Amino acid sequence: MRFLPLIVTVGNALVFPYYIIWLKNVTLTFSLFAWMFALHSFAAALGYQLCVKKSTKSIHWIYAMYALCFIFVGLSSFWTFDYTYATVAVQIVLGFTQGYFRAWHVHQLFYTLHAVSNYLLVGFAMLGLSFIHIVTPQFILFVFGCLLFITFLYATIHHIIRTKKKLAR
Amino acid sequence: MFNYLKKPWVLAILVVVIAISAFFIIPVEKRQYGLSETAMTTDYTGLLPEKIETIHEANNREQLVSIVRQANQDGKKISIAGVQHSQGGHTYYKDGIVIDMKPFNKILNVDQKKKTVTVEAGALISDIQQAVTKKGLALKVSQSLPIFSVGGSLSVNGHGRDIRNGSMASTVQKMTVITPTGTLKTLTKKANQQEMSYYLGGYGLFGIIVDVTLSLTDNEVYAYEPEEVAVSSYETYLKNVLADDSIAMHYARLSVDPEHFLNEMYVMNYKKTGRVAQNAALKEETQIRLSKLGLDLGRQGGKAETLFWNMQKDLFLKKTGKTITRNNAMRSESTFMEYTKKGSVEVLQEFFIPIDAYEEFVAHLKTWLPKDDQHDEVKLHNITLRIVSKDESTQLNYAREPMIAFVLLIQHPSSETGINQAKTYIQKWTDTALAHNGTYYLPYYPYQTTEQFKAAYPQAKHVLDYKLEQDPNEVFVNHFYDNYLQKVAN
Repeated sequence: MRFLPLIVTVGNALVFPYYIIWLKNVTLTFSLFAWMFALHSFAAALGYQLCVKKSTKSIHWIYAMYALCFIFVGLSSFWTFDYTYATVAVQIVLGFTQGYFRAWHVHQLFYTLHAVSNYLLVGFAMLGLSFIHIVTPQFILFVFGCLLFITFLYATIHHIIRTKKKLAR
Repeated sequence: MFNYLKKPWVLAILVVVIAISAFFIIPVEKRQYGLSETAMTTDYTGLLPEKIETIHEANNREQLVSIVRQANQDGKKISIAGVQHSQGGHTYYKDGIVIDMKPFNKILNVDQKKKTVTVEAGALISDIQQAVTKKGLALKVSQSLPIFSVGGSLSVNGHGRDIRNGSMASTVQKMTVITPTGTLKTLTKKANQQEMSYYLGGYGLFGIIVDVTLSLTDNEVYAYEPEEVAVSSYETYLKNVLADDSIAMHYARLSVDPEHFLNEMYVMNYKKTGRVAQNAALKEETQIRLSKLGLDLGRQGGKAETLFWNMQKDLFLKKTGKTITRNNAMRSESTFMEYTKKGSVEVLQEFFIPIDAYEEFVAHLKTWLPKDDQHDEVKLHNITLRIVSKDESTQLNYAREPMIAFVLLIQHPSSETGINQAKTYIQKWTDTALAHNGTYYLPYYPYQTTEQFKAAYPQAKHVLDYKLEQDPNEVFVNHFYDNYLQKVAN
């Protein structure tokens, strides 16, 4: 369980360049691109503040929100609607989720260990990804979204079992 | 201050404000299209990219004559381009010369007494409006958008909201042309109507339109009279409108959203107030982003399209009693319609149906058109109805009697499969139109078959024969010539 946050942090760093490419294509101009980032940052600040205030212990639902965002982006080329507007919502949810997750993560005992592992894993994985040319950025984002969804299912089941055990005691 | 900003409710407000603002800075796209000697040349839809050889910017008559004569000598091909809003490669040809008429755009004379304006063919409709509004005048007929060039509008025989004066070609009093063999000629409506009828609505195949003298009328002030009309009674309603001389312009919209599909419509009448505007200001485009937001909502299809239809209808009905000048009524906004989604394209199609066949045509459409096309590859986004009078000014004539023009906005994928799906869909529309003695408009992508072209334009063979007589070297060519006119030879 304690390695699940590592999937989020490493995965986020890995898909970041692909997400940026997608976002730049969707936003059409630099002004809107920059506004989307501002929106992301403010939403992240809000997520961080709320998490700090609540001193949350369980964050399995965060994985689901992450997963939804990346699956949405990954499938965007199939949407029939103009997703430029939907991108505004994606940026809010993604920003909020990242801020919330980070606020939770930095307060965990294993954060220091994760931080070093994160840098190492991202470095090696990025080298690996550099050899992949035949898939679109959306495909990689979709795969990451699916991985996060599996993470969410695993964390939820784990959370339910642990809660039941506690109640049984 | 900074600590204050860290409060969750302040941050929440900030997120909401930035999110709403972001909606309004979503850019109004601009299609990338046009002439190029180094890259591929395309017109407005970009569906027919082609490599051309040379672009000549039109400067003066002598230069144009010389280009045409030289092309005849060298066996070169020439196409003529204005702002290139035609959608079927009418303005260029593989390895050909393109004469760019845009710089040839002077207003040569406004005759207030005779109510005429003489302009070079590259001038835009909006250039004419700027020149004539100062004198209390307006074009007798023009398209409803002012963004087109005069030469282009006449070559496609454009029509608009006016219901009294026919198509634009019928308002040409005099024109200077360069024949396919390079002779500069002046044609007048009185003496050369027959010859003029090949240049007008001739899609650039009979030579170059150099300048034209167009009829003007007073820049009248009209009162908006919008009204919701039952689809089943529109024929009668329209006949009453045509019989009422106080109505100068008219158009209608037919619903295409899933809830009211072809079952609701509203009309807009422009009623004369008896006043003429002297030196009235021309309106500029406003609230582009808001309009685009609305149209983008409609583009989503399904319930969003229904919401858009209801909003649009309410907005129109609220215009009751407000006034507008004739120039401004022929100056609608267009920027908000831009659509540049990768892998997808929005195209226009127009079908002309005799007024008496309207009800039957709509009933026929209902038998096969999908009510809800949200998940289809080919989507119908809008139907505007215009009225065109009987046209006797052009050879490739689309209105052999008074007609209702169904102007369609269609979205489809730009892939080969998507284009083929659109072909099937549009050919079905064309068959339906032909079954009701209708025709279709030719400035668009060649979705229709040669058989459909022959059925809609039985005079095409004669037009081709005349073309070959006047242009034996086939110097003036374009994709329209290849895809339509030339094919009737067989």
